[in-house]
Amino acid sequence: MPSSAVTNRPEEVTARLGVGGGAAQGEALLKALREVKNQIIGNKTKKLLYLQLGAVPKIVSVLAASVASSLGGAGLEDAPVIVQAAAAIGSFACGVEDGVRAVLDAGAVPHLISILSHHDDKVVDAGARSLKMIFQSKMAPKYDVLQDKNLNFILSLLDSDNENVTELAACIIAHSCETNEEQKALCDAGVLQRLVSLLGGSSNQKDACLECIKAVVKDNSEVSSRFSCIGNGKALKALSDLIQDRYPYTRLLSCKCLIAIGHASPSYVEELQIKTKLVLVLAELLEEPGRVGDEAPFSLKKLIADNEELHKQALSINVIEKLCNFLHMSSIQSRRLQGILLALSELCSKLEKCRCQLLSPQVYSLNLEVRVLDLVIDSLEHDCAEVRAAACICIRNITRSLKNLSAGSLSNEAVVIRLVQLLYDPSSSIQLVALGALCNIIVICASRKSVLIRCGGVSQLVRLSTSMDSTLRLKSLSVLRNFLFLANTTDKECILKELSLHTLVSLLNDAEHSIQEQALALVNNLIDGCSSVEHIFTEKCYSLILDAVTRQLKQASSLGVCIQGMFVLSNIAAWSDFDKDSVTDYLIAYDDNHKPSLAIKFLQSNDKSLRLASLWCLLNLTNPSSAGSSRRVTKLQTAGIIFQLKSMLNDPCSDCKLRLRMVLEQCTEFETSQA
Amino acid sequence: MSKKVITREEWERKLKDVKIRKEDMNKLVMNFLVTEGYVDAAEKFRIESGTEPDVDLATITDRMAVKQALQSGNVEDAIEKVNDLNPTILDTNPQLYFHLQQQRLIELIRSGKVEEALEFAQEELAPRGEENQSFLEELEKTVALLAFEDVKNCPYGELLDTSQRLKTASELNAAILTSQSHDKDPKLPSLLKMLIWAQNQLDEKAAYPKINNLTTAAVDDPAV
Repeated sequence: MPSSAVTNRPEEVTARLGVGGGAAQGEALLKALREVKNQIIGNKTKKLLYLQLGAVPKIVSVLAASVASSLGGAGLEDAPVIVQAAAAIGSFACGVEDGVRAVLDAGAVPHLISILSHHDDKVVDAGARSLKMIFQSKMAPKYDVLQDKNLNFILSLLDSDNENVTELAACIIAHSCETNEEQKALCDAGVLQRLVSLLGGSSNQKDACLECIKAVVKDNSEVSSRFSCIGNGKALKALSDLIQDRYPYTRLLSCKCLIAIGHASPSYVEELQIKTKLVLVLAELLEEPGRVGDEAPFSLKKLIADNEELHKQALSINVIEKLCNFLHMSSIQSRRLQGILLALSELCSKLEKCRCQLLSPQVYSLNLEVRVLDLVIDSLEHDCAEVRAAACICIRNITRSLKNLSAGSLSNEAVVIRLVQLLYDPSSSIQLVALGALCNIIVICASRKSVLIRCGGVSQLVRLSTSMDSTLRLKSLSVLRNFLFLANTTDKECILKELSLHTLVSLLNDAEHSIQEQALALVNNLIDGCSSVEHIFTEKCYSLILDAVTRQLKQASSLGVCIQGMFVLSNIAAWSDFDKDSVTDYLIAYDDNHKPSLAIKFLQSNDKSLRLASLWCLLNLTNPSSAGSSRRVTKLQTAGIIFQLKSMLNDPCSDCKLRLRMVLEQCTEFETSQA
Repeated sequence: MSKKVITREEWERKLKDVKIRKEDMNKLVMNFLVTEGYVDAAEKFRIESGTEPDVDLATITDRMAVKQALQSGNVEDAIEKVNDLNPTILDTNPQLYFHLQQQRLIELIRSGKVEEALEFAQEELAPRGEENQSFLEELEKTVALLAFEDVKNCPYGELLDTSQRLKTASELNAAILTSQSHDKDPKLPSLLKMLIWAQNQLDEKAAYPKINNLTTAAVDDPAV
């Protein structure tokens, strides 16, 4: 660095800053300010250094003094000082949190606002740029737009000829409007009209206005509808035109605006035509470099969310292929990867066609050995948590494809192993999605069960089923239930051993009835296919479980619980005479309050599944091939069950009617033989 | 499939039928002069043709001062000038800022100020590398220059070419134009690219009088 009489080391420069005392004045002060500014712009290290040296409060004090003297008409010398001070302050607030804090704490904002009305354009520019830097930070204070004074000030800024000022206004509004009330106040004040007219300006101004419009209409159906009415639809047209703008970032922002309006007030952007155009534009933007391409998939996902028609549109213009091509890139930025996986997940969420395309061999990379599915599975281990979560959701949605699950396209050990790894993820939302995926896989792929056991999946599932988080308990229980579906004895024994009687009973007695229901379904899967209790439970286990089941049936906390509980009893009712007798006693028992027995109550239910489950149970209980059936029929008769059944002959459900007749036939046989 | 043959006569007849407005041609020229920063030429052209430039010529002057400073190797001056023009540009373009710092180092090495260069690399460039891993490779290349006696002929010697200065100058120019909401690329080169593309497309279907020399725009007879 060239030598000069005065050195430019930060400590010495800082010493020259300030008002009065040992600080420099006039030309020397101006030089010092300029020096700081030029050293810190673009240079985070220097910013931090000057922050530590306490430069910010000094610079703000210089700004304050110059502004005061400028207002006092002291003249033109102040302008350069103000410009340099403002620029330095703005730079401190750029990209460095401590800098923003220092600038705010030193009270820079009011002074910067005051110079926005300075007669010198350069001063106004400097003030506007610095304020924009500040308001782009999350830490900046929210500008209270509910106060008339403030709102009027913002409006005056929007009316300015100076683009830096109008952009600043748009930035402040976007930063400060969060609540519906604030959005409405801005709308009432005519901000939206003004922003739309500014869309005719330069591209930087366009972008600032688009971001602002989106912030004002977002999630607010009233404001969105009012926007759509501006100029009899001219405002909407202006936005639609901008989706064809020459600059990709502007196209993206206008798409986002239209999507936000479409979600908040569907009727205005309902036409499939405009939405299809948006899909096309966003599909193209996927291929842009930088932040545009990174954000495009997120917007695409939002646009097509839950809309099968749009999923079909996207499919028809090869969006899936486009998205998959990115997965093949070796160094893809995390944010973009997350977006792509989320967009793919959305596309695979409903349509089988989409899932098949993703899994189809045509979607290959140059390296033919690598399947798209494997690339998604690899992402399950990505460093970035958001990418892992997105990959997990993608896998879960892909596994909704029954066709591919059965065909074994998803029979990949790696999937199960990685998903089990995610069961240990610190984020419970990732754990939940992993559980969802396992739930789907484990039903059809019997072969995956051994992998699950081998890699410690069952142990972790059992551990999660005792989690404090009820959703985790529920989901892990669902996986275990599916695991036990059509399981062989070895697998059943494995689960029982890990799960333990204690846990199973406590799950049956869980506070949440959705969990009770899953636990009952799990028991059902355990006893399904067994012909006696010894096959699966010890005497002690059995009685404890049965107690819990019948207790829940009595409590009848939910329909689902009752149905599953009745299935359990139906299964047991297919066992020995002794078992049948126990079941019968439970069904016909009633307490002193003369409440109807379980059987009557369930047979009288409005829900056909519950009636059906009860009928199945009775069918098993009155099976003629069983020795004690006749005495059970008598018991049922005495308890008024037969009478109840006869009153149901016109049951609206045909399945119920059929079983009902079968039960009555069986019962009548005994009556006749007795007679 | 045999290609259709278009004779020179036919071609010239077709060309005559195409109407292009003089104003549009002028706009293209002005756009080029303005984007590339030829202020004097733009001013003269404005007077002669009556075409209005789409930006204030004063802003071009500022931008050109920046470009010239950089092209003469005066990086610090260029930085100060661009910060006067718009202090947010370098703050929001980390890659550009890195390249400017890199250029400063290159200039120090070129003028043989090894001590200063080392100090500068340590104080100013090393932190950039720390802040952003993607700069490390280029940083290493530049610092490596210090290891060689005959810098001009060492493996990374091309960094000392004026082409490197021009590259950085171009990057800086583009950033300034973007901050002014102006297109960073002039339209004329894109049109030329389109011409070449269109000719390639037509090549597959016909033999026609083709422009092979873009500088003279001479039309060659169709190859038969």
